[in-house]
Amino acid sequence: MIERLAASRCPVCGLVAAPPARWCPRHPVEMARASVAGAGEVISFTTLHSPPAGFRSPLHIALVELAGGARFICHGAETLGLRIGSRVAIEAVGDVYYFSHLGAMDRVRLFWSRAGHAGERMNAIARSLAKRAWKGRSRGEG
Amino acid sequence: MNDVWVAGADMTRIGRLREPLPDLMAVAAHAALRAADRERPDAIVVATMNPEEFVGDANFASHVATHMGFADVPVIRVETASSSGAAAFYAGFAQIASGLAGTVLVVGGEKMTHLTTPKVSELIGRSIDPYERSYGTTMPAFAALVTRALMSRHGVGEREIAQVAVKNHANGARNPLAHFRDVITIDLVLGSRMVADPLRLFHCCPISDGAAAVVLTAERASVRVAGVGQGTDTLAIRHRDALTSFRATQTAAGAAFVMAGFGPERVDVAEIHDAFAPFELISLEDTGLFPPGKAGSATLDGETALDGRLPVNPSGGLKARGHPLAATGLAQIVECVWQLTGYAPRRQVSCSVALAQSIGGPGTNNWVTLLEAR
Repeated sequence: MIERLAASRCPVCGLVAAPPARWCPRHPVEMARASVAGAGEVISFTTLHSPPAGFRSPLHIALVELAGGARFICHGAETLGLRIGSRVAIEAVGDVYYFSHLGAMDRVRLFWSRAGHAGERMNAIARSLAKRAWKGRSRGEG
Repeated sequence: MNDVWVAGADMTRIGRLREPLPDLMAVAAHAALRAADRERPDAIVVATMNPEEFVGDANFASHVATHMGFADVPVIRVETASSSGAAAFYAGFAQIASGLAGTVLVVGGEKMTHLTTPKVSELIGRSIDPYERSYGTTMPAFAALVTRALMSRHGVGEREIAQVAVKNHANGARNPLAHFRDVITIDLVLGSRMVADPLRLFHCCPISDGAAAVVLTAERASVRVAGVGQGTDTLAIRHRDALTSFRATQTAAGAAFVMAGFGPERVDVAEIHDAFAPFELISLEDTGLFPPGKAGSATLDGETALDGRLPVNPSGGLKARGHPLAATGLAQIVECVWQLTGYAPRRQVSCSVALAQSIGGPGTNNWVTLLEAR
């Protein structure tokens, strides 16, 4: 199942921004609400071995070009086997976007690797697992 | 537009320095004024990227002017992230070109080595788009995304990129003011710690302290400012079409060459913003000094070495001379002036036109300056 991601589109040049921006970076006009499919192609990626405060090492970051035109910065569980041009899905786990299809354990691990209060983390993990269970059921029915 | 001349230029040693930032800037400024044989400027332009957080001082233009004995000279501060020095040079240039001032002192400096590396990375990283930053995108992360995309292109591999650092260290070893004065090898670069895959420690410039200054005049001197160009791009890298070239440098170079009335073929020596080694290769192509896709092999073939066809970063560049943020754009110009006037012992190249290129933030506010010996 491909998620839809909130985005915005410039009425002048058609630039799609994800997450949505109020004004187009290239034109002084308000952008229109839009959404894009959470799937695309890896433009580049890296693994930080000394990430900034608030992140655990190693931190995987990718720049992905979504099918709807927007480029998107996101995290990932790993970059093993990833190539420029690889097709990945984007999923929101809590408010954070991750590339590739993630298993339940990956989600738990990713949550713990992002700093936050323990309570928030547990809530987010519970929400994520619930969402996955629901998705699994809907896939099973489909 | 009046002709603008560089009447004097000087800088401090770059490295881990004890003196407070205002002292470093005063030392560089006084030395540049002596070199220009001027007692006082009509105006001062100060460049610092973030003195509020690096050293805890605000109102920094007045602070520095007062500290160096020019409390009654009009002073402003200019900031465009890591290219602030080049932007301040432009502000001084504009004051003279327009006839508003006859002599302008431009001084830039930064002091960072008293803070921990994670703290410095965090402060520099604030020049990145807030959303991208919220995913842990630091300057090395940005540079790594660029580098991986660059390496997927034909003609740029590990050795081409590593050779930039090797060449710049070899030049730095000949510059008494450089932060690093040791010669390194490709194997040492490729064996150094991975910082942000595929970028290694020896691909990255150091954290440095230092200051640099130039004196600009309407009165004829030995070096003329032939052209200055600025280019900009979106703060967010996700809103750009290209990752392996910087539109901001291309625009800046185009504007500088139009102002100068000549093209890249006239350039004899260049100081390039190699905050990360691959940025030198990208910048050499963005400025038009090398055709697209050729900078890597040219570097490996020695074309950019001191004895090459087009010496690049004779000072050692950001990699070896060091990168005290707002001092850097001016330190590049100081090196160009010294090269053009025959004042670069042990690393002197034969030249009459020099180019300096400075990158602000993640390629958002870039500058190209062209200087000509007359």
